Amino acid sequence: MKLDDPDVALAAQAKAGSTAAFARLVSRHQQPLRAFLRRTCGDWALADDLAQETFLTAWERIGSLRKDQGVRAWLCGIGYNKHLGALRGASRRRARDNRYQAERPPQAGAMSDERLTLERAMAALTPEQRACVALCLAAEFSHAEAAEALGLPLGTVKSHVTRGRARLAEALGGGDEQF
Amino acid sequence: MSNFDARVQAMFAEDLPPQVDPVFSAGVMERVARRKFLAETASLSGVTVLGGVVLWALWPQLAPALATLSQGLAPLGAALAVGVGAVMLLGGQIEPTFPREV
Repeated sequence: MKLDDPDVALAAQAKAGSTAAFARLVSRHQQPLRAFLRRTCGDWALADDLAQETFLTAWERIGSLRKDQGVRAWLCGIGYNKHLGALRGASRRRARDNRYQAERPPQAGAMSDERLTLERAMAALTPEQRACVALCLAAEFSHAEAAEALGLPLGTVKSHVTRGRARLAEALGGGDEQF
Repeated sequence: MSNFDARVQAMFAEDLPPQVDPVFSAGVMERVARRKFLAETASLSGVTVLGGVVLWALWPQLAPALATLSQGLAPLGAALAVGVGAVMLLGGQIEPTFPREV
């Protein structure tokens, strides 16, 4: 985290107990966190629930945020763990499957065919691959940042991104060029 | 970044959540406030219970001392009450209402 980053001051104030500073952090990071969880979960309603729980956990654990750690990556890491916890819960998994179908059509109606193909290709990836693709391809995280956020080895993240990207390219066509 | 990556990124960007969603923010901060309130209430309850236990444990020693003290301090307490009452009345914090002369 850079010293001139507003997150540094806001995180310090939040650590001191300022809810106003934490509210600013929520405003600054809600979009990327919600986007990451939506891409990782597939279920938008569940993703938003998890995003709220992520911020709640972040408030409780704000003291554990290191000075050199990016707030966004830290939040995505908490959110990813919440997502894995939700996947482990049988009731939530059933709810997710039901809600996935219930939630998608309104959004799908506004989506292009290509966008729908991307959604289906993402749904076919493993949760780890989805998370790596969501961070590295969609949110422009570096492999190292994604590895730190997700708590995965760097090599594993690179492998997940490569495989996930190949699956998306297969579904969408293209992606032959090296990156 | 390759053309394919840019294309995928553009597709992902099509349905980004809003930059700031007031309903979402309010929901988060409401839950944070509730959690903070519960933590503070639990902390205060703990301190209160601890204080009660300490008082209960020390009461046999405290009771005689308080009884002795209260006898000596009763006139002082009464004088203090009168003094505070007078300051409040004359200091203007409580304005006495008197019937106006016509």
